[in-house]
Parts: sequence; C-alpha cells; structure tokens
Amino acid sequence: MSDSHQETIGENDKMRHINLAGPLAMLGALMLAAQPVHASNWLMVQGTEPDGSSDLARVWGFVQAQYQDDSSKPNAQGGYISPKTIGPNLDSQSAFNINRARIGVRGVAMPLDSKINYFVLLEMGNNGITAPGNSFAKLTDASVTFNHLKGARVRAGLFKYPGAEEGLQAIHVFDYINFTWVTNQMLLERFPNRLYTPNVAPQPLPPEVPLNGFERSVGAFRDVGVQVFDAFNFGSNWELSYAAMIGNGNGLNFSDNDDNKDVYGYLALEKIWGGAGPRREGLKFFAWLQQGKRTADLTNNFDESGNPIYDPEEYDRDRWGLGAKYLRKGWRATAEYMEGDGMIFQAPHNPSFGLGPGAGNPNNRDANGAYGKGKGFYVEGGWRIPKTGFEIDLRYDEYNRLDGARFQIDFKRTTIGAQYFFNPRVRVALNYEIREGNAPNFGPGLGPNAQVDGIDDVIAVQVTGIFSQ
Amino acid sequence: MLTSRWTRLLSVLGAIALFGSAPTLAQDIPDKPFAEAKFVLQISDMDPDKQTLVLNVAGNILKYYGPDKSDVEIVAFGPGLRLLFEGNSNTGRIKSLADSGVRFAACQNTINNMSNTLGRAVQVNPQATVVPGGIVRIKQLVDAGYTLVKP
Repeated sequence: MSDSHQETIGENDKMRHINLAGPLAMLGALMLAAQPVHASNWLMVQGTEPDGSSDLARVWGFVQAQYQDDSSKPNAQGGYISPKTIGPNLDSQSAFNINRARIGVRGVAMPLDSKINYFVLLEMGNNGITAPGNSFAKLTDASVTFNHLKGARVRAGLFKYPGAEEGLQAIHVFDYINFTWVTNQMLLERFPNRLYTPNVAPQPLPPEVPLNGFERSVGAFRDVGVQVFDAFNFGSNWELSYAAMIGNGNGLNFSDNDDNKDVYGYLALEKIWGGAGPRREGLKFFAWLQQGKRTADLTNNFDESGNPIYDPEEYDRDRWGLGAKYLRKGWRATAEYMEGDGMIFQAPHNPSFGLGPGAGNPNNRDANGAYGKGKGFYVEGGWRIPKTGFEIDLRYDEYNRLDGARFQIDFKRTTIGAQYFFNPRVRVALNYEIREGNAPNFGPGLGPNAQVDGIDDVIAVQVTGIFSQ
Repeated sequence: MLTSRWTRLLSVLGAIALFGSAPTLAQDIPDKPFAEAKFVLQISDMDPDKQTLVLNVAGNILKYYGPDKSDVEIVAFGPGLRLLFEGNSNTGRIKSLADSGVRFAACQNTINNMSNTLGRAVQVNPQATVVPGGIVRIKQLVDAGYTLVKP
C-alpha cells in the first residue's frame, strides 16, 4: 500500500527546518512546516496521497491464506469454546482459510488537484468482518481527505481510527499471524446484539450450535466519522503527528445506532533515520485514547408472555494506550501498554458480555464485561537476517480480562515466528504460539478455569501476497 | 539599383535582427564549456513513476559525468507538468538536483490550460523556469546539441 510512497530521509533532510524560539513559535512553525510525509506514519500513509505525483486511481490489494492448528484440550465434559478453536467460524481446531482478500482503489479526485484524495477498500476474505451474517464482501474503507489547510487535514468517511499500533498499522505488513490477546479481545470491538442473547454453552466439535453468538461484524479498528490530522517535520529528522476524530462508535456500520459519539485522540513523535514505506527506519513514541458509549440490551428481561423486552442501557467504553517502536538496520522492537474500561468483550460465546442466563443483573460486576476493566501489553522484536529473505520474530503478550473482578482471567502468550520474503510483496510466515490462561481467583478446574485450563499452543502458517499497480 | 540597394539594406537589417535575437537564445541555454554530456529529459506523462524515473536519470547523469561535465535540463509539459507543481512530493529531490546544476523548464501553454481547467492559477516550483512551450524548448535544446531522452 505504501511502498509507492517514495519519500526518503534524504528528502526530509531538505525539508524546511524550524527555529525553535519558543513553544508558540514552535507550534506556529510546525503549522508552516506541514509537509506531505508518508512512510510508516500510518495517518499519512492511509489518509493522504503524494502531492502532485499520485494516480487518479491506483488499484491495489492483498490476499492472505493461512493454516492454523490449535492443540487446546476440551473441558471435562468434552466441550470447546474460543480460544480453543480456529476463527472466525470456530468449528474446528485445524483449518485452512482465506482470512483476508482485499481489493481497493485510491488516488486523487482530479490529477491536477492533489488537495483532495480518496481511499476505498473491500474485504472478501473469511474473518470477523464477513463471517457474521455470511457476507460475501464488506466495505472496510471509504473516505475522502481534504488537504487544503496546512496542519489540519480533514478526512471524512469510513476508515481506521487513530489508535493502537497493532490496529492502526496496515495489516498486510503485520509481522505476526494473530493479534495479541489484548488487541484481539479489548480493542477489536464486538458490538452487542440488539436484544439480550444468552451465552452459548461449550460444544463438542463440530459444534451443534455456532460458538459465535455475535450477529454483527467486528469493528476492524474502524469507524465512520471525521478526523483532523497532520504530520510535521522539524529539527534533525523529527516528525510530530497528531489526529483527533469524532465518529459513530459503530464500527463498519455506515450509520449510528444511538446518539452517542466516540472521540479519538492520537499523538506520535518519531526520530527518522531513513528508508521509506512501512518499514521506514525510526524510533516512534505514541499515545492514544478513545472514549465513547455503547447502547446495549444486556439485561435478560421478559414480559408476562415470556417475550424478551428491549431494555437498552448506555455503557461507557474507554480505551487508552502508549508505546514505542524501533526499527533500524534490520532490527525491530515494539512495546505497547493498554487499558480499557467498560464493554470488555469476553468471548464469542458470550454475546451479552458475560451476563449468563438467569444472572441477568447488570450490577453483578463479578463477571459483567459491560462494567469490566482490562489491561494488557506486548513486547516484540524481529531481526531481518542480512542478505537473506529471512526474518525471525519473537513476541510476548499478556492480557488481564475483567481486571480486578472475581472472574478475572489472565492470558499469556509467547509467539515464536519466522518469515521468508520471496520479494517485498510476497512472504510466508510461520508462528508457533505458546499460550496459557488462568483465572487467579479460582483453583484449577474451578470457575473460569474449567474452560481456560485447556488452552494450549497454536501453530500457524500464512502466505501474504500484495499487488499494486 | 534602387531595388538592389533596398534589398541589401533589408538584408543587413535582417542580419542585424537575427544577430540581435541570437544572444537571447544563447542566454536561454547556459554555456557550459566543459560539459561533455548534454541531455534534455522530457516528462509529459501522467504516471507518477515517470516522475521518479526522470529524476533518477538526471541524478545518474550527474553521478556518472559529474556536475561540471554534464548539462541537464528537464522539460515538463502536458500531464508531466505535475512534476513541477508547487508542493509536489518530489520537491526535495528537485531542489537537490537544481543545486547540482540541473535545470527545470515548465511549459507556459500547459500552465495556461491547466489553470483554465482548474479555475485557478497553477503554481509551479520556484526552481522551474517557465518557457513559452515545452516542445519548442526541447527543439531549441536539440538544435543546440542536446540529446533528447524520454525516460
């Protein structure tokens, strides 16, 4: 996607530099120095086109085909739940899948006018975006960016909101096959069904009842709204980026389901050493937050006739995080810490966020994800072996779900990975994930541990092919 | 006789006129007496990759012959004029090449047409010299011994 953005550090060298006379002078100078920078600045890569040198319509896309094998054990009754089965269908413990197949078009509205650009992307793979509802295809991005104001570009439409590195980065250059626990569970939003939906009991394989009780697509780290953003070069190859956005807080859905709006904020500071594209060399520090409310009927109420009552309430959903990413001379290291408050997703078989049948008391906070908290982190690193196509990767991640509550579960994983790049656009990745889960407030086999005790390792292989005009 | 005198007079005046116009052309094409290689590079395509390519070619010429022994002018017209739009993402490279002696020429006819289409004036890179016509400029340079290359 961004490998056509050819801006290099050499060019950055020649950009206007700023005389730091004081904070206000710096801010003003930054506004003046706003330049169309790209590379691994995801805000710019995804939201803008190179000034005066972009296509009218550049067709691009990628395909990811994978195989995963999960060696987790069932519970004592022989039942399985996620994450012991392979998503998004959760029908088995080993599966080939075309998990992503995307095609998109991006460019400028008019070749003579680089002030307005657009970005459209369609998903046709089998994943959390398309599997709920059995969609053949789903639009994941449709946005227009106005670059008229230096220092305040405006992007409107459906697109990735500014946030955590794992979610914001282009997925086809992601160095692992599966997201970390915290990103997958706390950030990749699952939206509640309109009516209270009971839990799905653990199932033998193949399951008699679908193990995913959610009816709608995952949020895919996207929202419909308006974002103001830009990036500024200053000093000796430093880059400051910011973004502020307001959106529906309703994921890929084109419209809103309530009057509440989500707000997003993002700030990044990066020292750039060289290179271009997603693997530009630099040291980036970033922080982000998002705040919103969700309207959900999570109460298991019925009228006198036994029909479910639509009894929605509003729940806060707040997330924030900070991190750093380093990439230089083939070495990569990333660390990110995140916290969440409210609307804590528990599992695909808990579509009402953990409120089980008969326990429909939203004030029972022991297991109620709607009021729950979460926190997690990951550290990872990689090394591209010089003069070969090989890269080795290592990642460790943790997530404390329902942090501080009685039903807290701690997930841990170590991922050992290797990639082979046939060329910059085609690669194969092999991941071995050593996984474990534990509910610290319960003994072995008791409470949530009856399910999570059996979580075990996963081996995954994935081929990624990127095409672009 | 009279006719003959008038003919000679007109011939002299014509020669003066031609002589007078010749220095103007000479001023337009800087004299680089030590230049071993003289190139005019044409860019008239919409393709953004051509922008990168033409700048790479200019850079390679400088690298091979050296700035003092090469004479390079990039002439942009038609859709290729986008290379010389003010704020083009290659502005840094253009500045760098210009500092090394590469000249950039922007076609006035194209600027006029694009401005009419846009409804506002097209702003060109200050490193560029606006010439009446890109194709005319190329002919001038070719006539002066430059090699035309269209990457």
